[in-house]
Amino acid sequence: MSRVTSVNPPVVEQPPRRHRRVRSRRVVSRVALYLAALAVAVFSGFPFLWMFLTSIKPSAEILTAVPVFVPSEPIFARYATIITGDFGLHLRNSAVVTAGTVLLSVGSAVMGGWVLARFRIPLRRYLLILVLAAQMFPMIVLLIPIFILMRDLGMLGSYPGLIIAYLSFTTPLVLWIMRGFFRGIPIDLEEAAMIDGATRAQAFRRVVLPLALPGIAATSVFGFNAAWNEFMFALTFTLNAPQRQTLPVALVQFIGRDMAADWGMIMAASVLFTLPVVLFFLLTHRYMTEGLVAGATKG
Amino acid sequence: MTDLQRSASRAPTAGTAPGRRRPSGGGGRSWRQRFDNQLLPGLFLAPSALFIFGLTVWPVLQTFRMSFTSADLRSLMTGEYEFIGLENFVNIATDSHLRVVFLQTAIFGIACVLATMVLGMSVALLLNTRLRGHTMLGVLVMLPWAVPAVAGSIVWQWMFHDQYGIINWALASIGMVGFDGFPWFNNRYTAFFAIGMVVVWQGFPFVALCLLAGLKSVSGEVLEAAKIDGAGPWQTVRLIIMPILKPLILVLVVISTIWNFKIFDQVYVMTRGGPARATEVLAITTWREAFTQHDFGLAAALAVAMFVILAVITALYLWLIRDDEEFE
Repeated sequence: MSRVTSVNPPVVEQPPRRHRRVRSRRVVSRVALYLAALAVAVFSGFPFLWMFLTSIKPSAEILTAVPVFVPSEPIFARYATIITGDFGLHLRNSAVVTAGTVLLSVGSAVMGGWVLARFRIPLRRYLLILVLAAQMFPMIVLLIPIFILMRDLGMLGSYPGLIIAYLSFTTPLVLWIMRGFFRGIPIDLEEAAMIDGATRAQAFRRVVLPLALPGIAATSVFGFNAAWNEFMFALTFTLNAPQRQTLPVALVQFIGRDMAADWGMIMAASVLFTLPVVLFFLLTHRYMTEGLVAGATKG
Repeated sequence: MTDLQRSASRAPTAGTAPGRRRPSGGGGRSWRQRFDNQLLPGLFLAPSALFIFGLTVWPVLQTFRMSFTSADLRSLMTGEYEFIGLENFVNIATDSHLRVVFLQTAIFGIACVLATMVLGMSVALLLNTRLRGHTMLGVLVMLPWAVPAVAGSIVWQWMFHDQYGIINWALASIGMVGFDGFPWFNNRYTAFFAIGMVVVWQGFPFVALCLLAGLKSVSGEVLEAAKIDGAGPWQTVRLIIMPILKPLILVLVVISTIWNFKIFDQVYVMTRGGPARATEVLAITTWREAFTQHDFGLAAALAVAMFVILAVITALYLWLIRDDEEFE
């Protein structure tokens, strides 16, 4: 703004007044910006704060007409109850299913992503389009046939059944991301190793793989989030197997059971459910954001 | 460029320089080359390809097949599916409730996309101004996107609670007394509003992040020139930033549309499609037909309809990014 006044000669005629007006307008817009920032921060962050606060309030301070913002004394007993009780079981179900899914899908994507990044295999373009399009598929289209398949195999409500089902949406996702990481590793290193007498597989194992480790870690986080957050398959596959419910399914069932729900417990369980995802996010947000922006907007 | 042809054309040259390559039998080398260039990629790609074809392509085909049958619980037991042609699709076209479901899925989806885009753009512009603490704000804004949809829906459900929810308290205490004890989930429109809050809350960070990356790529010189020419902030956004970001915005609109069209978790958690099926969206209706009514044929037909609609949008998306080097 000040540049405009100094560049335009006619404006300089009454400099003091003009300046004052410009400055006060700048202060106002500055304040407006900070207010907007505050509003955005509250909108994004308050639900987290409220979830945590509700989970540590004494029960009497949860169901109040006027909300209690500062608990009279923080109570962490709910977390102990959850971990030792039923929710502990569901936490373990979620952990087993997620770990199995990540291992299988990232393991196969490490190999497949490298091939898609390095080899001009037949129909590669169409395969890549399929990988990308598969991430857009509505899961409900896959759900019914996979449900019937698992039912016929007697694998509903079993860990392998859920893990296999989860591979349907994690594989395209992590394959795509993994391929992106391999494309970022210069081919010259592999070629140098092969000139020195290594086979292609040896070059992959000894040269490429160590370099891809950060990428593998980041990709695993993506896979983890997708599997950990999944709800629909888990809900459907455990309809008749409550002991195999993953955490999100158990949480939702817990609310549904009676409407005068114990919100303190629900929020504590939600915190435990959200915590690993948010921790992973904070640890890797640079990777995640870069990777996802590249993955989604660049195709 | 880093592919078979290049490594294949390079290998013989390397072979002629004996000092750089360990000597080995000629027949062995060619076998090894063939293994490296043909068998190895096939072997390495096999597991991923198996998962993708077995768990996405095959189920989609199965769903299409099932949509022409009257599959129900009995056919699941016997494995016999009666072919009924287009009857399921005729039912979809004539059922008044299903028509409402299609309509409100589309309207709700579009409304969410609009709100997500507007909020995402505003936040991106906000983060692009160098106000103090914008890095912190950036991380905070991203958090909702990292949260599981189920957890996000549960928290907002609690905040929208009629008697003890903090939102009703806040609205009532700024003078809107009508919201004291207001039951958000008893009415189609207010329930959709609450669900939309969660959807937008989780959706805008990604949009903001992508647009921020786009804004950073707008050159400072262009903005400076606009400023010298006397453009105000609003004019700068409308006449300079928006046209430059248009391709990115288009892609984001398409991605958000795809995401918001297949929404399931948020609706299931907050209303389960109720009250009286008023807040059913397509994914919820499909799930209900399949797993509570056991009308798998009709559910498959609904899923096919959804798939076709999303396939059109996805094709549009692929067309928008068709020149991307990622496919080379």
